Amino acid sequence: MKKLWRCHVCNDVHLGNKPPEVCPTCGAKNAFVLSDLGEALDIIGKDHASLDDQAKVQAAWKQFSDQSSTVRLTDKAEEVELLSKGVLENLKGKGQRYCPCRITTGDRGKDLNLICPCNFIRQPTFKEEGECWCGLFVKRDAQ
Amino acid sequence: MSGTRLIWFHGKECPHCRKLAPVVDQFEAETGIKLERLEVWHNEENAKLMRSLADTIAPACGGDLGVPAFYNEVTGKAICGRIDMAKLVAWAKG
Repeated sequence: MKKLWRCHVCNDVHLGNKPPEVCPTCGAKNAFVLSDLGEALDIIGKDHASLDDQAKVQAAWKQFSDQSSTVRLTDKAEEVELLSKGVLENLKGKGQRYCPCRITTGDRGKDLNLICPCNFIRQPTFKEEGECWCGLFVKRDAQ
Repeated sequence: MSGTRLIWFHGKECPHCRKLAPVVDQFEAETGIKLERLEVWHNEENAKLMRSLADTIAPACGGDLGVPAFYNEVTGKAICGRIDMAKLVAWAKG
């Protein structure tokens, strides 16, 4: 099970099996100490913008796309529009920004894998056709 | 599952489902066979039915449940994903 870790220099919080060797925020080495949910929630606070409208969701997808050398957001603007509407419908109805082309199972662990962007690299459609299941993300050399 | 329905599980905000709608319309017009269209993100009963068929549908979808998916109650066969007219006809006729 993943654990919570806190950088003792800058209070960066990390959820993972082991602490990062280098803090991605302040650059300190071997700076993470085991934390817990109460401490982590206190550090994170509640003053973060919600991704609760289509422009914000699309901006998050664009950031994800821009940082990748292998995948990018599809050029099909109408599909980006429809899918961003869909993930927000699912946020409202099901509690998370789930892929509108999948379906929840009721098993929390499995359903967390449906949050967009999902781990689409493992999907047959990505391997064979260069697209994630819903077509939102494509290989950089595809389309 | 027993029954005689040909079911199309779809999602209201799924682009592939939207693109497939005219193909299904054409299929119905050409064959006279009607599909039962069940939306799964805005109708929990439809979602439950789809989940109950996961053992058949998920493998057809590459391992996880997804839409668009088609389930033939007579043959117990499912197809999923980017479907064309030929695949649809083959699935419907068993």
